[in-house]
Amino acid sequence: MTAPDGTAVDHEPPAPRQADDPGSLADRQAALVEALTAGRPMPAGFDGFRFEAARVALLRKRAGEVSRQWPLLAASFGDRWKHEFATWAATRPTQGSLRDGWDLARDLLARAALPPMAATELAEREAALHYDGASPPRPRRGPSLRVAAGAVAVQIAGRVRVLRRP
Amino acid sequence: MADRPRVGAPATAAATTGVPGPATAAAPAAAGTGVTYGVGIGWRPEIAGFVAELPGLRFAEVVAESIHPHGDLPAGIEALLARGVTVVPHGVRLSLGGAEPVPAERVDHFAAVAQRLGAPLVSEHIAFVRAGGIEAGHLLPLPRNREAVAAVTANVRRVQESLSVPIALEPIAALFDWPDDELTEAQFITEILDRTGALLLLDIANVYANARNRGTDPEELLDQLPLDRVAYTHVAGGAEHQGLYHDTHTDAVPQPVLDLVTALCDRHRPPALLLERDGAYPPAADLRAELDAIAKASAYPAVT
Repeated sequence: MTAPDGTAVDHEPPAPRQADDPGSLADRQAALVEALTAGRPMPAGFDGFRFEAARVALLRKRAGEVSRQWPLLAASFGDRWKHEFATWAATRPTQGSLRDGWDLARDLLARAALPPMAATELAEREAALHYDGASPPRPRRGPSLRVAAGAVAVQIAGRVRVLRRP
Repeated sequence: MADRPRVGAPATAAATTGVPGPATAAAPAAAGTGVTYGVGIGWRPEIAGFVAELPGLRFAEVVAESIHPHGDLPAGIEALLARGVTVVPHGVRLSLGGAEPVPAERVDHFAAVAQRLGAPLVSEHIAFVRAGGIEAGHLLPLPRNREAVAAVTANVRRVQESLSVPIALEPIAALFDWPDDELTEAQFITEILDRTGALLLLDIANVYANARNRGTDPEELLDQLPLDRVAYTHVAGGAEHQGLYHDTHTDAVPQPVLDLVTALCDRHRPPALLLERDGAYPPAADLRAELDAIAKASAYPAVT
């Protein structure tokens, strides 16, 4: 099976069940969360219109939270921010708003689509914190210099300065 | 405040005796503290300056997960505590309704925050926020069945073991229901309260939102809930999109929600009513007007 973004999704076949047995609470909660956040199909029996309204509301809420952590990233998209974020996040469950914004900014950078204002913000974050893309970012120990789409930021003893804006 | 009883044990009386119904030993403790606080507000960093200048404020709430119990408190919270304002930790990430046991480190953090704030009670939701290792990023509804009641009860008891103060549980606003609900909302909530001895944090905006979206009568739900166990009440704003009312906390409190505050207070006035705002913060004058409107609707003194 593939998610809407084309990536393969591991799919364990469920254990055989009675037709009227909806499964354990744990399994049903997991299926619900996957449908809301990871682009998996909505579990049977739910109201499709209401479920979709909740899914979209959740993405918009996340967009608002990420905009507080990444104000320049959000601002660089103007009115299109919520749509831009929601499109990207539709199949990506949240890793927290700091990492969500970071992952999106790196994605945009890789696609050469990161707006200049957001590039400066990304370079500052990259200089300040070490983020491996899989675990929570943590402060860098030594001095660092990071470049993102023409923006250059340097961090010495925890203080970050932008050397060049694109 | 010398009149705050430390009521850890009474809060679990119903759980240990299994005595059903609101008339258990837990109910008098409920009122939690026996203290009347009046109108309060959810403290957020963005409105710290506004909250600091509310002269009559006696009750506030802070998101429990935002507090470092062993580090410095936000300056605004320190100032409120120094003024004698009661600050209640409001958990949003414990996932008490999750099928999995609530993680011990989250319980420890929650209890430590309560202690740090000297809070007379704590609160969390009847909801789940993660499953199968994935964070939903939002409070999600539970199926209203026995299995969910058992899951919530088990998790609430795990939390109560670490707390020395009562916990109040908040039913959420949900845009959708599960397809196979066995219990009514009132039955579901009451069953959980009876089995845990917990207090009720009644969010009147959630009552409004759910009733409006389900086409039911919100006052009917008020008639069915054990209102004598309401520790305090949330009031918040929302907006309609595509025919559904969203409990956004980023819009103004609509008049029907204020009317429902009055309908609640006519039946049983809660010791505190607290405005929740979580973004798109309006000018101070607008927030003041909302607090005054809640005071008027509940006949509590204005805190502004």
